[in-house]
Amino acid sequence: MTYIVVEDLKKNFVVKKKREKGKLFREKEKVKALKGVSFSVDKGELVGYIGPNGAGKSTTVKILSGILTPDGGSASVGGIVPWEERKTHVKNIGVVFGQRSQLWWDVPIIDSYNLLKDIYRIPQRDYEARLKELTEALCLDEFMKTPLRLLSLGQRMRAELCGSLLHRPELLFLDEPTIGLDAVSKLSLREFLKWENREYGTTIMLTTHDMEDIAALCSRVMVLGHGQKLFDGKLNELLEHYDTVRNVHIKYEGAVSDIKLPNGVISNQTEDGIELSYNPSEIPTSQLLSILQSAGNISELTLQPENTDHMIAAMYKELDL
Amino acid sequence: MDIFRLYIKSIGMLLKSHLQYTSSFIMQALAQLVMEGGEMMVVILIVDRFEGLKGWPGSNLYFFFGMMSVSFYLTEFFGRGITGNFPSMVRTGRLDTFLVRPRGVLTQVLCAGTDPRRITCIAVGTAALIMGSRLSGISWNLLKVLVLVESIAMSMLLILGLFMIEAVFSIFSVKSVELVNAITYGGRSACQYPIDIYPVPLRALFTVIAPFALTLHVPASWILDKPLYGWPMWTAFVMPLSGAAVFAIMTGVFHLALRHYRSTGS
Amino acid sequence: MSYFTVFKMRLRMELQYRGAMIGGILCQMFFGMILIALYRALYEGKPQSVPIENIATYVWLQQAFFRMMLASDNELVDKIRTGDISYDLCRPVNMYGFYYARIMAQKLMGSLMRAVPMLIMAALLPRGWRINFPASLPGFLLFIPALVLGLLCVCALENITIAFTMITLDPRGMQGLLNLLMLTLSGNILPLNLFPESWQKVITLFPYAQLLDAPIRLYTGEYLPADAMRIYAVQIFWVVVLIALGVSMWSANRKRMIVQGG
Repeated sequence: MTYIVVEDLKKNFVVKKKREKGKLFREKEKVKALKGVSFSVDKGELVGYIGPNGAGKSTTVKILSGILTPDGGSASVGGIVPWEERKTHVKNIGVVFGQRSQLWWDVPIIDSYNLLKDIYRIPQRDYEARLKELTEALCLDEFMKTPLRLLSLGQRMRAELCGSLLHRPELLFLDEPTIGLDAVSKLSLREFLKWENREYGTTIMLTTHDMEDIAALCSRVMVLGHGQKLFDGKLNELLEHYDTVRNVHIKYEGAVSDIKLPNGVISNQTEDGIELSYNPSEIPTSQLLSILQSAGNISELTLQPENTDHMIAAMYKELDL
Repeated sequence: MDIFRLYIKSIGMLLKSHLQYTSSFIMQALAQLVMEGGEMMVVILIVDRFEGLKGWPGSNLYFFFGMMSVSFYLTEFFGRGITGNFPSMVRTGRLDTFLVRPRGVLTQVLCAGTDPRRITCIAVGTAALIMGSRLSGISWNLLKVLVLVESIAMSMLLILGLFMIEAVFSIFSVKSVELVNAITYGGRSACQYPIDIYPVPLRALFTVIAPFALTLHVPASWILDKPLYGWPMWTAFVMPLSGAAVFAIMTGVFHLALRHYRSTGS
Repeated sequence: MSYFTVFKMRLRMELQYRGAMIGGILCQMFFGMILIALYRALYEGKPQSVPIENIATYVWLQQAFFRMMLASDNELVDKIRTGDISYDLCRPVNMYGFYYARIMAQKLMGSLMRAVPMLIMAALLPRGWRINFPASLPGFLLFIPALVLGLLCVCALENITIAFTMITLDPRGMQGLLNLLMLTLSGNILPLNLFPESWQKVITLFPYAQLLDAPIRLYTGEYLPADAMRIYAVQIFWVVVLIALGVSMWSANRKRMIVQGG
C-alpha cells in the first residue's frame, strides 16, 4: 500500500551573498535545494535516505513533516498534504532530529512525557500502556526522574525516541539518530527501531551518514545529491557497482624476498605487515596469491571487501557530488 | 479550555525548572527589583522637581506609571516565549519541533517561555498603582475595577502584538532587535506618562500604530475622573479593545510569515 | 597576540554589522526624541535653572554615546557561563589587558560609528529639540579628553563586572544590576542635573558620573573651562582606582581557577 507519494518536489532558498566592496546591499542568490524529487514509500517500509551534506535530505524530511512549504510539486502522506493540513498530519508522525531535543532540558523526562501526552491529547490509558512498553523496550525505567540535561548522549537519544513515539505515529522520521553514539548505544538503537517497525508496522525514514545504520536497518536506500534523486533500490544493488576493491593484509614469518606486484596493485608496508588493495576483475585473486606465496612464509592473511563508507565516498566522487 | 490547561501546565513546569537554580533566580529577581525601582525613583524625582506635568499632578503620574509597569511586566512574565525567546527558538531550530506537533505554533511558543524574575517588577508596578490611586483619591467602584482589568489585559495583548513584529522579522532571519525595541521599550518609556503631553506625531504613533493611548491612557484617565480629551465614558470600555485587534492582526501576519519559514541547520 | 591586533580585529567586526548599526541609531534617536518631548512638557509647567536647550544637548550626547556604557561583550559572557574563560585565564598573556583592549575597541567603534551620524541628525532638529553647539571653543576642546577619560573609566568598570561574574558564574544577575546602576547614576535615564541639588553634590563624585556626565557638562558650559583640571583629577582618580581594583580581582580569580583546575 503506497503511503508516501512525492512527485517532482521543488524547493528554493534565497541566500544572501557576502557583501561586495562598495555595494550598499548584499546580492541575493537563489539556491535550488530540491530540483524535482519523486518517490513513493509503502506502509511499513524502512527507508534509508543518504547523500552528502547539502544534498537536500533534511529539506525533504522537513517538507514531509510539515515544517517547510515546497515551491513546487506535490507530496502526500497517507492522503494528507503535510503543509496544508499541518495539525492533522503531524498527529500521525514522529520526528527525531539527531542534534536538537524536543524534550525539556531542565525537567525530569517523565514530566516531559506528561506534557507531550497533553500536547498530543493521548488518552490516559493509552498513554500509560504505551509509556510502559516504550520504557521497557528502551531501558529507560531508571532515568524517568532524571532531568534530560543529566543524561548521557545515548540515554538522551533513547529518551527522545520514546517522546516521539508516545502518540503511536504511523510514520517516524529520524534525522541522523546515531550521530555521536557509542557502539553499544548504536546497536541497541537499531534493535529498537527494527522492533518498532516489526511490531507496529511503523514506516521509518532515516537520514544518516552512517552506512552501518543503513546496512543494518534499511531494505531500501535512496541517494540524493544536488537536489536530485540519484538512486533508489536495495543497498546491495547500489554497492555492487562500486564494490570493486579488495583489501589484503598479509604478514610474513622470516625473510621476505622482493615481491614483484603486477600493475594496479597498491601496496603499503606497515609495522604490522603489508597492506594491499587490488581490483579482482583486473588481477585475478589466484594470480596475486601465488605471487604473495612465493615471496616468503606467510604467517597471517586476511582478505576483505572495501568498507562501505569508502564505497559511498567513491560513489559521491563518481557522481560528482 | 484545553489550551489554557496546557499553558498552565507548561508554565508550571518551566517555573519548576527555573527554581532549580535558586540563588541565580533570587539574584536576578533582585536585579529586576533594583531596575524597576530605579525607574520608579526617576518618576519620583521628576515629581519632586516639577510637581506636575501639563495639568497632571504627581499622584496621577504614579498611577500611569503603575499601569504601564504592571501591564508590561505581566506580559514579559507570561509571554516570554514571544517577548524574549523567539529569535533563539528560530536560531536553534526549536521552532521545528513546535511545527511537528498537532498544536498551534503560537500556543506552543507561549507555552515555552516564562520570565518569573519579573515578579519583582510587577510588585513595584503594583506599589506605584496603589500609591497613585491613594494619592489621587480615586473612589473605586466595580465599573472602575472592570475597566482597570480590561485596560491591563488589553495593553498586554498590545505589547505581545508589538513583540510579534520582532518574531515575524526573525522568521525571515532579519535582525531587527533594536528597531523593534524602539516601539516596544520605547512605547513603554513614552507611555508611562500621559499621552497628551507629547507633540502630535508621537501621539499619532501611539494612538494609531501602537495604540497605548487607547488601551491604557483612555481608560486610566477615565478612572482618574479626568477623561482624556474629554471623551465620553463608553470610550473607556471600547477603545482598549484595539489591543486585541493589534494582537489579532499580528497573529495573522505571524502565521502568514510561518509559511515562508526556512528552517535553518542541516 | 598584541593588544593592537585585538583592537584591530574588533574594529573590523564592528564594521560588519552595518544593518544593526542603522537600527541602533534609529532606535536611539527615537528614545532621545521621547525624552526631550517629556522634558519639554515638564519645563512648560515649571522652568528650571538649567535651560531646556542644555537638557536637549545632554540627552543627545547621552544617547549618542549610549553604546559606550552598555555592557558590550556577549561572547565573553558566554565564555564565563560555559567555563571556557578558564583557558583564557591560563594563557601567558596579561588577560586583564587583553580584555581591556577588546572591550575598549568594541565600545569606541560601536559608539563612534553611531555617535557621528546621530549627532549630525540631532543638530538638524528644530530649536529646543536639537543639540546645541558647545558653549565655547575651550569647553569643546576640554570635552574631548574628558570623554576619553570617561571611556577608560567605563572599560575599567566593565572589567570589574566581568570579574564579579566570574565569581558568581551568573552573568545576567550581576550584569543587570551593575548595568542599571550605571544607567541611572550616569544620567542616561534622567539627566544628573535634574536630580535634587543635594544629591548631585555626591553623585557627581561617583565613578558613573565620570563617564558622560562630566564631559557633557564641560560641553554645555555648566562646568567652566577653569574647572577642567579639577574634573580631570576626579576622572583620573577613578580610572586609577578602578583599574587597580580590576587587576587585583582578575589575578585573584586567576589564582582561584588555577587552584580549582579550571
